[in-house]
Amino acid sequence: MPTAFLLICVAVTIILITVVIVAPGITASRGGKILAFLVLFILPVTMSVFGATEHMERSKQTSFCLSCHVMQPYGKSLYVDDPSYLPAAHFQNARIPRDHACYTCHTNYTIYGTLHDKLRGLKHAYKYYIGTPANPIKLYEPFNNRECLHCHLGARSFEQGAVHNADPETMPAIKSNKLSCMSSGCHDTVHNVSELDKVKYWKP
Amino acid sequence: MNQQIYISKKLRVAGILVILGLVVEGFSLLWNHPLSFLAFLCIGGVFLALGIVIYLLALVSRAQE
Repeated sequence: MPTAFLLICVAVTIILITVVIVAPGITASRGGKILAFLVLFILPVTMSVFGATEHMERSKQTSFCLSCHVMQPYGKSLYVDDPSYLPAAHFQNARIPRDHACYTCHTNYTIYGTLHDKLRGLKHAYKYYIGTPANPIKLYEPFNNRECLHCHLGARSFEQGAVHNADPETMPAIKSNKLSCMSSGCHDTVHNVSELDKVKYWKP
Repeated sequence: MNQQIYISKKLRVAGILVILGLVVEGFSLLWNHPLSFLAFLCIGGVFLALGIVIYLLALVSRAQE
């Protein structure tokens, strides 16, 4: 739902609530009771659901993640002019949506993945504004191949890749997350933020 | 009569809280930042929930004689 429309609905609801506050006597009639129920329960709950959905969508944006300064080096790493930097290669070649870059790789592709990530996001906000963020930032758990395979599974470059099929055990091990995509010697250069002052940058 | 006065008073309180909640939630939609999400949830959401609970309680409770 567009934000402007949502804001108009909020304004209309506020006007109707004001009518009930100014003249509560109208709730003595049946119509007044229905109006009060509508503006004090149904509409606010509906507005909140749509508002929460809008906030959830916004929280997937790259700019949202990078608005915390501890995340800015990670955003900068997306512009490293070196294809061995995995996130940079994905970002610069539009293999992931640029406006949802962080979310695309760091969400948990499970049934309640988005909700789980947003609850973690609340924890991040608490640590950022009240506690002390970890330095360096670490993932809660090792990066799961599931997040890569969400896009790459079935892709020719992945399924028929020479290294992925070097021996019969490799592919099943990758697919079952027993062998990480980011294993040493494979796709092991990720954000690498400690090296950002030594690299060249891509200017779009 | 007493019941109508009681409900009117509760409706006013509930209405003011719901308006406050909606105002906070509305303003939070104008800003794309983690703090706006927190304001939506922790300030707007709490005002709104309180207002709704007071309204619903007013519907089911009886006036104190």
